[in-house]
Amino acid sequence: MKLTNMTGLYVPAKSPLHRLDARAKFFGFLILVAAVILTDTLYGYAIIVAVTIALATMCGMPLGTAFASVRRLWSVFIIIFIMNAFFFATEEPIWHWWIITLSKAGMLQGFSVVFRILIIMVLSNILTLTTPPMEITGAIQLMLKPLNLLRIPADDIAMIISVAIQFIPTLLEETDTIKKAQIARGARFESKKLRERAAAFLPLLVPIFLSAFKRADELAMAMEARGYRGAKNRTKKKSVPMNGKAWLALVLCTAICAAEIII
Amino acid sequence: MINARNIKFSYDFSDGRHRSLNGTTFSVKKGELAVILGHNGCGKSTLMKHLNGLIELQQGELTVNGIDASDIEEVWKMRRCAGIVFQNPDNQFVSSVVEEDVAFGLENYEVPREEIEERVSSALKTVGMEGFEKRSPHMLSGGQKQRVALAGVLALEPEILIFDEATSMLDPQGRAEVLETVKRLHSEGKTIIMVTHYIEEAVFADTVWFMHDGEMLAHGTPREMLTDPELLADTGLDAPLAVKLYYDLLDAGIKLDHCPLTNEEAAEEICRLKSVMSR
Repeated sequence: MKLTNMTGLYVPAKSPLHRLDARAKFFGFLILVAAVILTDTLYGYAIIVAVTIALATMCGMPLGTAFASVRRLWSVFIIIFIMNAFFFATEEPIWHWWIITLSKAGMLQGFSVVFRILIIMVLSNILTLTTPPMEITGAIQLMLKPLNLLRIPADDIAMIISVAIQFIPTLLEETDTIKKAQIARGARFESKKLRERAAAFLPLLVPIFLSAFKRADELAMAMEARGYRGAKNRTKKKSVPMNGKAWLALVLCTAICAAEIII
Repeated sequence: MINARNIKFSYDFSDGRHRSLNGTTFSVKKGELAVILGHNGCGKSTLMKHLNGLIELQQGELTVNGIDASDIEEVWKMRRCAGIVFQNPDNQFVSSVVEEDVAFGLENYEVPREEIEERVSSALKTVGMEGFEKRSPHMLSGGQKQRVALAGVLALEPEILIFDEATSMLDPQGRAEVLETVKRLHSEGKTIIMVTHYIEEAVFADTVWFMHDGEMLAHGTPREMLTDPELLADTGLDAPLAVKLYYDLLDAGIKLDHCPLTNEEAAEEICRLKSVMSR
């Protein structure tokens, strides 16, 4: 149960965000992501943080849940920050050695990159926490529809994405099982030495890959057994026009995005 | 309902020597509960995949509900009339919401949206999983998962239900739940085929088939099949506990009137013996 919560998988509930039309949520999400990328001022950051926290509170989850997957990636964030801080700019160095230049501009850049990734991750977590995968698929399908004109199988791509999302907890659980089995036989995932740790991960990777392929094979079989012949010839979702709330949400997201650009 | 004659099948297309099915002949009547027993790798699953067209017929004849399996055009009809519940419950779910998953098959056959809702809830009711519509399959127990998978198949209202070792990854309670559902569906008149290597699950079948190395060794009623020690030895299966008890008692010089199949029957026989002896 803990695993599923950590990955930001759909958790049924009755919050306003849960009830919002999935299309509005998905496109609103894209607009907000655009806002996050476009913003460049302190006020802009403040607004987007406020919006994100408001959304996280609205979905009725404890804030920790929305931030859980972010917390696990802190080392990646630090690396991104350091890379930017040291390599971004060569002018006005605070400190310089060989090819490394620590600069104010670089540190700011590092901060803003990390900040943006963080906010986007939390936003996407909120989206997947509050929207059933099939509805996200529906929204992605809608977005990819123009691709059909180019003979790209948009429906199938959307199906693939949603099935892939749905298998994350299963594979995580399996990773955990295999890891424990390896530890029981003396593997050293906790070793301080980087080389030992890297060496321990290879025997973990191979069985996970193998089993993922086996699962994919079985799932394909099960899907075909239930009559799947490509996503095209399936019952279409009820094409209910989006309601007032959904449009309002979209307008709000657009307004936020516009505000970010103006500021 | 199902008529298979002399089916031969090899996964290895280059040479036909290593056959998974080696002239399998098999039939099931309408409303029958047939159990196929055999060891791993005897071709049980391969045969089942033939029954709904997941595997193309290479050699032999097969009709399912009057549909000829060699006709590739008809494969979707065939697939709809024989639904399979597979072994691993985790590898059958396409959605992380129970009701969406059950609706998957219906959407594939372009059933109208209004009808889908109705059929999903009635299918979930049939397997006793009503109230779980919005839950995630990952958070259910093994037996519950398998019953949801069954609901996904039932929603399509197939003529034939196939359980391909559907209980082998479940704990005893999960197995009991699934078996209970199977028995109930059978009593409601569904045609059911169960593939298993648990001999106890064959006891309540109408017909038991022994499969070995891609061939059907024998078939008959559970009483004929499961109480015959020689036949069991040929197939390499262990007799049910009650049958073992019967033969052990026989070795010890005690003869029960009938050979019991279930533990309950064994208890009855022993009680009867006791009352005869005390008289």
